[in-house]
Amino acid sequence: MIFRPLASALIALPLLATPLLAHEPGTGAHGGVRVDAGHYHAELVADGTPAVSLYLSDGSDKPVPADGFKANAILVVDGKAQRFPLSPAGGSRLAGTAPVAIPKGVKGVVQISAPDGATTQAKY
Amino acid sequence: MVRHFVWRAGLGSCALLAGLMLVMGAMAHEGHDHGAPAAPPEATLAPRAEATSADFELVAVLRGGTLAIHLDRFADNAPVDGATIEMDTPEGALTARPMEPGTYVVAAPFAAKPGAHDLAFTVTAGGTVDVLATTLTVPAARAPAAPRATPVALGLLGGLPLGLLAGAVIGFLAAIVLMALRRRSAALVLAAGLGLAASLPPDAQAEDAPKPPVRDAAQRLPDGSVIVPKPSQRILGVRTIVTASASHARAVELPGRVVPDANASGLVQTAVGGRLAPPPGGFKPLGTRVAAGDILAFVHPSIGASDLKDLEQQGFELDQQIAIVKRRYERLSAIQNAVTRREVEETEIELKGLQTRRATLERVQREPEALRAPVAGVIATSDAVAGQMADPNTVVFRIIDPDRLWVEALGFSPDVGRSGASGRLADGRSVTLAFLGAGMSDRGQALPLQFAVTAGFEGLRPGQFLTVLAEAGAPRTGIAIPRTAVVRGANGQAIVYEHVAAERFVAREVKTEPLDAGRVLVVAGLPPDRRVVTEGAELIDQIR
Repeated sequence: MIFRPLASALIALPLLATPLLAHEPGTGAHGGVRVDAGHYHAELVADGTPAVSLYLSDGSDKPVPADGFKANAILVVDGKAQRFPLSPAGGSRLAGTAPVAIPKGVKGVVQISAPDGATTQAKY
Repeated sequence: MVRHFVWRAGLGSCALLAGLMLVMGAMAHEGHDHGAPAAPPEATLAPRAEATSADFELVAVLRGGTLAIHLDRFADNAPVDGATIEMDTPEGALTARPMEPGTYVVAAPFAAKPGAHDLAFTVTAGGTVDVLATTLTVPAARAPAAPRATPVALGLLGGLPLGLLAGAVIGFLAAIVLMALRRRSAALVLAAGLGLAASLPPDAQAEDAPKPPVRDAAQRLPDGSVIVPKPSQRILGVRTIVTASASHARAVELPGRVVPDANASGLVQTAVGGRLAPPPGGFKPLGTRVAAGDILAFVHPSIGASDLKDLEQQGFELDQQIAIVKRRYERLSAIQNAVTRREVEETEIELKGLQTRRATLERVQREPEALRAPVAGVIATSDAVAGQMADPNTVVFRIIDPDRLWVEALGFSPDVGRSGASGRLADGRSVTLAFLGAGMSDRGQALPLQFAVTAGFEGLRPGQFLTVLAEAGAPRTGIAIPRTAVVRGANGQAIVYEHVAAERFVAREVKTEPLDAGRVLVVAGLPPDRRVVTEGAELIDQIR
């Protein structure tokens, strides 16, 4: 009888730990800023050119195929908000081209729509 | 025996019913709580979403298909006016229009669909652009209020007919129980009522259920935190500061009193006793600005009756002497060849001296003394009444320069306040002080210290009492917050309200020490980089 609560507690332990880890923005595998976005991790790679890439991975940083995903980026560049869509570009990558050059470490939000209609947003 | 059985059956049914009620109530509660975010969605609050950035704090409230967006500055909670807000939803971008300062509205047709809606707000205010992301959760259906859970639950058991059946059963059981108590007439009425209430269709009950109020009400949650919706925060004028730990000089509180600056104030006193008379234009009223040298009054010296007789006598004597000397002088002048020149000149000098004395004697009786302002300033006190008899050395006017005042405080060390001091008046205003000097002789076992008021002269007047906060001793490290931020809790403890979320405030017990006239130093109970309510804390404290 005592095993049941114990087991639940053991299962719940990672639940307590993961949000703390997941919410810390860090550097992703592609050198961009990786943040937590709903069920996914989203890594935004900007290198000073208008081309912007977004890499999706799951909670354990395994790449998630980007096919069927849609994304909309709102990034603040030089005091102006730039809006542009991102579309699947093979593998776990979503790519888009901004009207202006996007510097590294840009601030903004990317709204992501999953193939099943669920939406989430990644805040940078 | 039969009655006993019926009684038992009644009790058992009631117990069963109560059990059912409990189960249904518990289930409804579970469903309500599921998936709730950290901030508890209060049943009495409209659906809302909040987002914060380094500059802004945004709360979007859904009401009647419209999203009201309240935009405030993050650090001080002041409404942000004149901002442009664009809202990106999965269905497209919308632009909000300003409604009142700091509040913007946008139609939200997408929100008719229940569920979570991801929203991104692009805020442009002044030169700052920020993107705030949040999720608005629209509840699927309003959970029924707890007291009404059972009848509705009964109705939901299997549609309306079963609900009616359940109602009838309840009515029947109640009737049996009550009849067993031999109160037949009352039982019939009661049973009918109970059965009807229980069997009402759920729609009719839903109409009865409390609708969300037109206005979100501020409330205190069971955990002691206070929910203050943004519109209420605007009315209460809630402002915050971000706490920062710093080194502050230690301060001591001394009793003090405003005194006039010795170099910029003066007394107008009479030198001789006499009768006061107004200058041309009359006596100046209190508060009149005067320049140094202005004539404020005249004193006509009064001469007593005996003095007057003496003077009269003296006058007669002088007149007599003048007449004699004059006659002699005329005689000597006529025979200049027969007398020496020295004799003539001596007589002439004697005559002139007598005439001068006579003239002075006359002037003494006539010429008034002019009372002049010794310094520039305003008339602080005036005791002048035309015709009043003033003794010598009477203070008739007191002139004070309101922009040059001193404060005299009683301290216990001649070293306090040298690095800085401030004064707090009884009405909460504060003045800035600069150290002038400390006395050497004790007064009432304390040392008089003099400070000059350097700022905050408005409404200050000599004689006012104030608390002087003088810097003394080694500096301390702590968080300086305005005095208005600290309120007394119901148990007498000093508390401050921390702004933890856009609409959520949490009371924190703190230990404070005096710092200066306007601020206190929090030495325990408050970490840095938190937002603390500085204005409106008293009002938040009163929310129950």
